[in-house]
Amino acid sequence: MLAQLLVGGLGTGCIYALVGLGFTLVYRTMRMVNFAQGQVFMAGTFLGLFGAQQFGLPALPLLLLVAVISFAVGMLLERVVFRRLYASHEVFVVGAIGLGVMIENGFRIVYPEPLPFPKIFGAGVYHLHGAVFQKTYLWILIVTLVLVAALHVMFAYTRTGRALRAVASDGEIAATMGVNVQRAIGATFGLSFAIAAVAGVLIGPLYFVSPDLGDMVGLKAFSAAVLGGINSVVGTILGGLALGLMEALAAFYISTDYKDLLAFAILVLMLLVRPQGLLGRVVPVKV
Amino acid sequence: MRAGLAVGIASVIALCILGLFASDYLLEIATLVLIESIAVVGLGFLTGFAGRISLAQGALYGVGAYAAALLVTRTGLPPLVGLPVAIVAASVIGTALGTPAIRLSGLYFVMSTIGIQQILWILLMHWSSLTGGPQGVRGIPALSVGGFVLDTPARFYVAALIGAVASYLLARRVIASRFGLFLRAVSDDELASATAGVAVLRAKATALALSGGWAGAAGFLHAYYLRYVHPDMFTLDLSVVFLTMAMFGGYRSLEGMLLATVILGGASEYLRPFGQFRLVAYGGLLVLSMMFFPRGLLAVLPIRWRR
Repeated sequence: MLAQLLVGGLGTGCIYALVGLGFTLVYRTMRMVNFAQGQVFMAGTFLGLFGAQQFGLPALPLLLLVAVISFAVGMLLERVVFRRLYASHEVFVVGAIGLGVMIENGFRIVYPEPLPFPKIFGAGVYHLHGAVFQKTYLWILIVTLVLVAALHVMFAYTRTGRALRAVASDGEIAATMGVNVQRAIGATFGLSFAIAAVAGVLIGPLYFVSPDLGDMVGLKAFSAAVLGGINSVVGTILGGLALGLMEALAAFYISTDYKDLLAFAILVLMLLVRPQGLLGRVVPVKV
Repeated sequence: MRAGLAVGIASVIALCILGLFASDYLLEIATLVLIESIAVVGLGFLTGFAGRISLAQGALYGVGAYAAALLVTRTGLPPLVGLPVAIVAASVIGTALGTPAIRLSGLYFVMSTIGIQQILWILLMHWSSLTGGPQGVRGIPALSVGGFVLDTPARFYVAALIGAVASYLLARRVIASRFGLFLRAVSDDELASATAGVAVLRAKATALALSGGWAGAAGFLHAYYLRYVHPDMFTLDLSVVFLTMAMFGGYRSLEGMLLATVILGGASEYLRPFGQFRLVAYGGLLVLSMMFFPRGLLAVLPIRWRR
């Protein structure tokens, strides 16, 4: 039973980690929280559904296509919407939530009923130490690892990655060094959209999908990011995995009703005790 | 100031006339907007005056509604007893959960209020032995004041109007007081006001208590208005709506908040022509209002009109 719980928890944890990374990337660069992230995740699921049903795309090309489209949409929305919300963090929060309402209800018009998602990752199951799990879980794990590795390589070794990090640590200085700050911010939003949307496709085959799919996942991924450290990429990934595992264990050993409470209790407690998260660094504030 | 008084009296008279002639349908919408305005004014103590943005007001409104509903259905006490109970319950819970978080800097406080909102909502939903869980609370009697039963839309409308006017006048007094001055000082510059002798934490905790109390009073009216409460009436969405109303209205302007409550509270009605796109249009309204009026609706008026 424990093995089963761990596999399930790890799968959910990967999803929290990926969606949480979207929060972290934007937060590190802008000091803003994009609460439309959960709806971007949901939009990814439906984009995947559309691609799989209409064009019968296999898993890998589908994931790539969703990532590319979402990246473009993220850059576009940064230019058209988010850029006008930088006045203050509260304006950004409400504006982003409003955008989330638009996305969610837009999809609800097209997809009013919950739908089964095609088994794009194969219908079989694996057996491991008494645990039985769908092939989808293996894909979730592998794609998460690949994405995280790719992000690490990009941030650590490429010119673009260095530019993004420079903008994240200080936009003004980065601009004087010749970094195109606007484009870097656009790319950051694009990346955060792409990662969340890919997570949406990954989780699709496990559930019936409906437009409110992103509500809880978005908020929990956000809690996971705060748990690990919302300005730390590594922290967010570990926070996501930890939250997924804890939820799976709590649902079984404590109560399924209060499983959802855990994420938010952790969120509030972390903010009170250690707002920078488990792995985050404290950024000193000058008075 | 005198012009403001005239506008105030004129709008109250207009609202009274509306109560005499409007259809029941219109009255029900107007009643809800009036009730919501109370919660929004309460939130204004935090957003406009203490500089702290809360996304838990919807849940505290729910706490007030549940306190009123459970008191009357479980104990059979007279409905009006529910008013102080609702106010105290929402205020105490809001202060108890919010005070530890209020020392956090702006964005971290917003994050923690989202957690508080979700925790309260989950408790309303799953603590079935206390709250009735997903069944909600049914069978709330009509509100009666000393034998006078508020059982028609018009009668309840009058009660909501009295409540909204009282909440507005009381809030004005609070803001004009020495405490209101402290709050404005704190939201302008925490450090400077602390060096000038303002007890910053106490001022902010008091703002929390007041905003919870206003939410509780509004929740009380909500419970007797619909005579049924359900956890899904008090979700994060409602908190977002309240926050938008408080921000969209304008920086430190109670009148602006009331105006924004009318504009956004009535939105579900005048967006009806959008048909199935209604909620998309509503989200668009939130986004556009933040994109183009980040400092609030009244900020576009020339300065001399704002006084």
